[in-house]
Amino acid sequence: MKILAIDTATPASSVAVGEGDNLLAMNLRVDRTGHLSFLTPAIDMCFDQVGWTPRDIDAVAVDVGPGPYTGLRIGIAAAQAVAASLGVPIIPVGSLTALAWRAATGRRRIWPVVDMRRNQVATQAFMPVPGGVVTDGPAQVVSVSEFQALLSSDGIETLVVGDVAAVGDGFLRGVQRAKQGRPRYPTADVILEIANLRVQSGEYSSVDEVRPRYMREPDAVIRWAEFREEGIWPGSETQ
Amino acid sequence: MSEPLILGIETSCDETGVAVLSGNEVLSCVLATQVDEHARFGGILPEIAARAHVEAIRPLVHQALNQAAIHHDELDAVAVTRGPGLVGALAVGYAYGKTMAWTLGKPLIGVDHMEGHLFAPLLDHSDYEPPAVVVLVSGGHSMIVHMRAWGEYHVMGQTLDDAAGEAFDKLARFMGLGYPGGPAIDLYATGGDPDAISFPRPMQGRPYDFSFSGLKTSVVTFLEKAKTANSVPPLEDVCASIQEAIVDSIVSKTFNAVEATGVEIVAGGGGVLANRRLRQKLQEEADRRGVNLLLPSPQLCTDNGAMIAAAGRYHYDRGVFTPWGSDVDPNLKIGQ
Ligand SMILES: [Zn+2]
Repeated sequence: MKILAIDTATPASSVAVGEGDNLLAMNLRVDRTGHLSFLTPAIDMCFDQVGWTPRDIDAVAVDVGPGPYTGLRIGIAAAQAVAASLGVPIIPVGSLTALAWRAATGRRRIWPVVDMRRNQVATQAFMPVPGGVVTDGPAQVVSVSEFQALLSSDGIETLVVGDVAAVGDGFLRGVQRAKQGRPRYPTADVILEIANLRVQSGEYSSVDEVRPRYMREPDAVIRWAEFREEGIWPGSETQ
Repeated sequence: MSEPLILGIETSCDETGVAVLSGNEVLSCVLATQVDEHARFGGILPEIAARAHVEAIRPLVHQALNQAAIHHDELDAVAVTRGPGLVGALAVGYAYGKTMAWTLGKPLIGVDHMEGHLFAPLLDHSDYEPPAVVVLVSGGHSMIVHMRAWGEYHVMGQTLDDAAGEAFDKLARFMGLGYPGGPAIDLYATGGDPDAISFPRPMQGRPYDFSFSGLKTSVVTFLEKAKTANSVPPLEDVCASIQEAIVDSIVSKTFNAVEATGVEIVAGGGGVLANRRLRQKLQEEADRRGVNLLLPSPQLCTDNGAMIAAAGRYHYDRGVFTPWGSDVDPNLKIGQ
């Protein structure tokens, strides 16, 4: 099973190609706004390196977030274009799962974080199990102080991974039994690894089911609701 | 040699448009409009636009190919809007189109949205060719372009503040007529007296530039005074008079440019050209002066994939392709 994996869900953009358990080529760049210019040449280079043509692949895997929206959509649109043009399935993988997966060693409960800006992070608890991780709670978007409270109230030893720097320096100070770890960003090699296992257990999605996991309303909608309540925009008669 | 088959993708603003062209023949042209999603805000919200594009793009490409009875592999090139527009919206279409072209091993053609509008009249009028003056008026842009030759564009005038469509939207919102404003005002203006109120025709000193903020102020002032005096004229008359002021301004600037350049072809594009009064008055003026007015059908005036494919075809014929490492440019400026 030959798979192309794409991850542009965070400031890191990466592409990986592999067959079975073997990672054959990978490209990575960290650039907050460079997803679109990076992606296609990076895919092209990977295929060149392993001597594949697009028609050789059997599936496309993509990070569907949560993550900053524009990058997320670029990766998903690109993955859909490849999958639809070739008629191959698409395998969605979450950014929080990818982060926890890479960090899964030991016994600590893993709390991956993705920077959602506006002083918020997306997070979810995972427990390491043989061969990977399992979720141990719902995915949620929380403020940095809410996240600290979550960690502080967690009764066992925890490992915080992801873009911790974005959360703020020293936010783990005073939080009992919490440790900071790697990776900082989800990457396509992990997406590839997870996708490969899902394929083996027959978990495919149709292209229509693959959409971004935003986990938050657009800012304007949030502000609109506030405006409506305060009546700042009277005379907006529509609806 | 058979005509090239080109897929065009447009996602610069609030319409997801995909089309397949064989030469200049439109084999399919499908559109997902987001008007309803933006209506409650009275304007276009970039994040909502981008979210809607990513939902719509794959099914629309599928539908466009199906309707054209074309298989992916038969395409000769993929043309996609590269700018100007909303960066998050542009990125969705560009990521899709670029990766699709790469997957199929076909060339990518990044197209300037405004150049797309300049090519749109070609889809309805085979006698459309430069030199021509083209007036482009929509919610996002208002400009007059002197097209000296294909690929050679001189922007003679543009708006100094609001775009024409924006002026319609803001005035409609002020009067409580809903969004989008152009169609609402067009509708209410039917049966109204366009000479009932004389609103200013701005920018008399600059023959090719538009400015609509003065009109807006004058309408607001007029209505507030009328309200105080308890003498508000019928809505139909107000709408017809507002529309007349905007239309007059567009028509006079356009024909100023026609006169200055001596062209015999006038064309247009942009959503505001769906306005019936504007089309009528452009036609009257063109007839009076004996020049040929070539307007696209209303569906091809608004943003669409066919116009992007048409401009793409021009570059395809010249072998001018866009590299895989290219990015969108929300501030792309035509003629520069
Ligand atoms: Zn336009």
